[in-house]
Amino acid sequence: MSAESHSAAPLFALQGISKQFPGVRALDDVSFDIRAGETHMLLGENGAGKSTLMKILCGAYRPDAGAFLVSGEPVSVITPADARRLGIAVIFQEFTLVPYLDIAHNVFLGREFPGRIPGLIDRGRLYRETRRVLDTIGFDIDPRLPVHRLGVAQQQMVEIAKALSQDARILVMDEPTAALSERETERLFAMIARLKARGVAIVYISHRLAEVFALGDRITVLRDGRKVASVLAAQTTPDELVRLMVGRSIDTTYGRHFCDSPGDLALEVKGISADSGISDVSLTVRAGEIVGLAGLVGSGRSEVARAIFGADRITAGEIRMFGAPMDGSPQDSARRGMALIPENRKTQGLALARSVGDNIVLAGLRKMFRSGIFSPRRATEAAQAVIERLRIATPSPRRTVGFLSGGNQQKVVVGKWLNAGARFFIFDEPTRGIDVGAKAEIFKLIDGLAREGAAILMISSEQSEIVHVCDRAYVMRAGRIAGELARQQLTEANIVRLGMHQ
Amino acid sequence: MSQIRTAALPALARVPGVAIVLVALLVGFSLAGPRFLTPANIANILMQSTVLILLALPMTLIIMTEGLDLSMGAVLTLASIALAMTVVATGSPALGFLAGLAVGLGFGLANGALVALIGIPPFIATLGTLGIAQGLALAVTDGQSVVGIPPSIERVYSGTLFAVPIPIIIGAAAYALGHLLLYHTRFGAAVFALGGNREALRLAGASDRAMLIVVYAVGGLMAGFAALLMTARMNSAHPTAGIGLEFDAIAAVAVGGTSFERGNGWLFGTLLGVVAVGVLRNGLNLLAVPSSAQVACIGALVILALFIDALRSRP
Amino acid sequence: MSQMAETRPRLALSRDVLQAFYRLLAAALLCAALALASDAFLTLGNILNVLRQTALLFLMASGLTLVILTAGLDLSVGANIGLSACLAASVIQATGSAGLGVATGIGCGALIGICNGALVAWLRIPSFIATYGMMWMLTGVTYYYMAGETIHGFPPSFRQFGSGYLLGVPIPVYVMVLFLGIGTLFAQRTIWGQQIYALGANPEATRLSGVPVERRLLLVYTFSGAMAGLASLIILARINSAQGDIGEELTLPAIAAVLIGGTSLFGGSGSVSGTLIGALILTLVLNGMNLLQINASWQPLATGLIILLAVGIDTITRRTAP
Repeated sequence: MSAESHSAAPLFALQGISKQFPGVRALDDVSFDIRAGETHMLLGENGAGKSTLMKILCGAYRPDAGAFLVSGEPVSVITPADARRLGIAVIFQEFTLVPYLDIAHNVFLGREFPGRIPGLIDRGRLYRETRRVLDTIGFDIDPRLPVHRLGVAQQQMVEIAKALSQDARILVMDEPTAALSERETERLFAMIARLKARGVAIVYISHRLAEVFALGDRITVLRDGRKVASVLAAQTTPDELVRLMVGRSIDTTYGRHFCDSPGDLALEVKGISADSGISDVSLTVRAGEIVGLAGLVGSGRSEVARAIFGADRITAGEIRMFGAPMDGSPQDSARRGMALIPENRKTQGLALARSVGDNIVLAGLRKMFRSGIFSPRRATEAAQAVIERLRIATPSPRRTVGFLSGGNQQKVVVGKWLNAGARFFIFDEPTRGIDVGAKAEIFKLIDGLAREGAAILMISSEQSEIVHVCDRAYVMRAGRIAGELARQQLTEANIVRLGMHQ
Repeated sequence: MSQIRTAALPALARVPGVAIVLVALLVGFSLAGPRFLTPANIANILMQSTVLILLALPMTLIIMTEGLDLSMGAVLTLASIALAMTVVATGSPALGFLAGLAVGLGFGLANGALVALIGIPPFIATLGTLGIAQGLALAVTDGQSVVGIPPSIERVYSGTLFAVPIPIIIGAAAYALGHLLLYHTRFGAAVFALGGNREALRLAGASDRAMLIVVYAVGGLMAGFAALLMTARMNSAHPTAGIGLEFDAIAAVAVGGTSFERGNGWLFGTLLGVVAVGVLRNGLNLLAVPSSAQVACIGALVILALFIDALRSRP
Repeated sequence: MSQMAETRPRLALSRDVLQAFYRLLAAALLCAALALASDAFLTLGNILNVLRQTALLFLMASGLTLVILTAGLDLSVGANIGLSACLAASVIQATGSAGLGVATGIGCGALIGICNGALVAWLRIPSFIATYGMMWMLTGVTYYYMAGETIHGFPPSFRQFGSGYLLGVPIPVYVMVLFLGIGTLFAQRTIWGQQIYALGANPEATRLSGVPVERRLLLVYTFSGAMAGLASLIILARINSAQGDIGEELTLPAIAAVLIGGTSLFGGSGSVSGTLIGALILTLVLNGMNLLQINASWQPLATGLIILLAVGIDTITRRTAP
């Protein structure tokens, strides 16, 4: 089902865009167009290619292949400056605001109006122009307020004002309502309606089906870097969208031997909440099980992982490992046999400048050398044993870990915890940034750990991973557990349904 | 998902800490002795603070960019020596003044280049240039003072214009200029951005590196300017004269409420901080507290200011 | 799976050993150049002098090495030495006991180190600004305490530490070798040393590996302070007097020695033995300047230039690392 083309050429169009990163094909021959005044929703699972497409749109990335067309004419978008000149503005989740400058100075940063005295800014005009832009989006706030005093919703409005002040004709917004309350969301929608009336086109990335149908004129669904459909909102249903987002051919071998009789209760979490945004989360993991923690980006899964490991402080609830309550610090968790393989292995999991061996023994130093005296020989032997057991491809334990491939780096992180004698593992996106061949090895590794009796909690944004690897799974939504899926109910569609706002 | 950190200011902290500190100091010293709260003494404090204000203003900008300039005192000293030697050699105060400015500007540009172009952390870069400036000052003068300075220089400090002492006029003008620069120019907005969100500046198309170099260059230039005042006041130039003044400047900025991270600066706070430091030194002098203990007190004050700043940025 | 093809090296030398070798080579070349430039260099008196100065500088810089390994900085080293020396001196003078004086010196240094550590680890104040504030506070306290006076005349048993000889070699050299051993053993052969290296390379990953990062930082600053205290005693023993300005010119050379020795300001790489070579190189440069009768006033300048050079090289090479 494709949308019928109207008489006028679209305002902006991408044709046949492809983008490859080392080990992963982010976009494959994607075509996408935007019409003036339309709200075009972009849907897809994590890793489907939405953010890559956005970055190419605004000139931050260059595509490997494909063309750009403005009103039917080919054009080159290479730098962010080019994109801005074409009227494309992107509102990222990372705001580009200077906290201690006021709204007006932020909106016109770098483009301040020169006054009559050379060198000085014409402040009167600055505030007047800012007032004008703010009125356009219906944002009634004093432009002299410093930005750091504003809430997230208001800062977002300032970003939008900033984009509009540069005469944006296409506004790209990435999950804009993720941090907003109901009322703030309503205000945002009203603003979007106003922009539509002025002919501004909006590309809107969202997971919330209610929003998609409330705002969207057209909907494009991406899956695994390809465009699967571009439909008119009026001509589709939520169920069909879910089906389009999720159906996938299985091309990864997971090799999982599911656990029929889990052992002792390894982890018991009761009603924990934290300042990071999670509230009243309860779950259990038994020895020999792999329990999944699914949900969309921003639903709070990593925050739960950090709270369990003790990296963040919990404000309510209780965490017990093998029946005994936890102290709530990484030191205590590591000592008791808990392991965290973090989402970002380069910044949180490894000391890149150090050797493979140094990284492997780091968490287990206390256990290996009770007297405090460190023996390089024993450390190297222990590291070598882990290297062999996990088949880490490195010429020697002395190799700097930063030079290893992503998959092998991940193995080093896991190896660190094996060396420390961990019995309960939290994996946060274990196969992120790892190519297909190495992924299979990681799954085999995790499966092996479970079969040896370890308890595992696995966070993944790829629903197929959850379905093919986990014995059961919890699904999170907006900082809470939305539901638990037992083995029989564990399907990708169920995960997506539970995880999205209905 | 990360957004901009919102500084949580409790309601009663609306009153700037430095104002409280200043009032407390004034009250305390007035009670401690009769000689403090006299017009002559207050005028004395203001006069003595003029060199410091010239240093503290650009230091505010530098600290706002999450940097630091430890070499200011040494550069001030070297500039004053250059000024004195040039005046003595050529007989022209104007040339001397220019020589001082040139030295200051040169070191300022060097600092800026080291920090912005090579990427050396500011504290170590300016520590290095501190050593260099100090070494040059000692070597060129062989440890001796430079004397025989014509009275025209000295009159810069003792003279008046419309019955207002010239140093006060210079200080006020410097403050006005600083205020204009920081709050009414593109450069000023860039200074906020350099400390608060450097990426935003780059995305807006401005050269963050060039701006950063200018910030340090202004610091050096002002040190060169301040050399004129200092030389005039002492009517000589000595290779260890200005050593340590950068500490007073940093203390004034810290006490005045500018923080070392996040690009948060308050120029008027620095002015109050300068007065506070001046009041502290003057009051302690009147109580016959030796200069060494004064330094210790200022150090304690700085640590207190940092402590409060750290607490404030916690929630 | 992509892997960098690795050519098999003919000699299995790690990068660190190679770097140390280059530095030793530089030191040797310096010696050769100085021997050629001045007849006075290769005299026994001068060699012993160089050794003693190197030992002193090393002792000051050894604790600092650990601090810089954690990507921190301690600008209060000189002021620490000043206060510790003056307090130790007055204790010795008052009680006549060298032992009490030693305890005071090291204790004072360690206490200052604990304060620095607390500011950095618990209050999370950036180390350069925390130790900068400390530096001025300590300097002020020292001058106030001494009130312009000088303390001299220490018992001969104490003076041996600084000016005495054993088997023809100045005693400070033995102390240096002792602490070279202790420092190297601590850094390379204890689990705490390994944790500190990891901390410097990536504090967050180290914390998430179960290492108590705050406590290690406290340890490092305390040790640095204690070593400063020890160095102050040796200086005291050598010059046989104490004045308020003892520690003033010492911070810059200490930092320079660490940086020349290959320890990176950005943390995670470096060694105590490297600092020894760095101390040697700096001492040779300053000694050479003296022998060539270059005005002593140029020394801070030379030190400053050397620091900038070392940091500049470090910064630029960091850009190309993983």
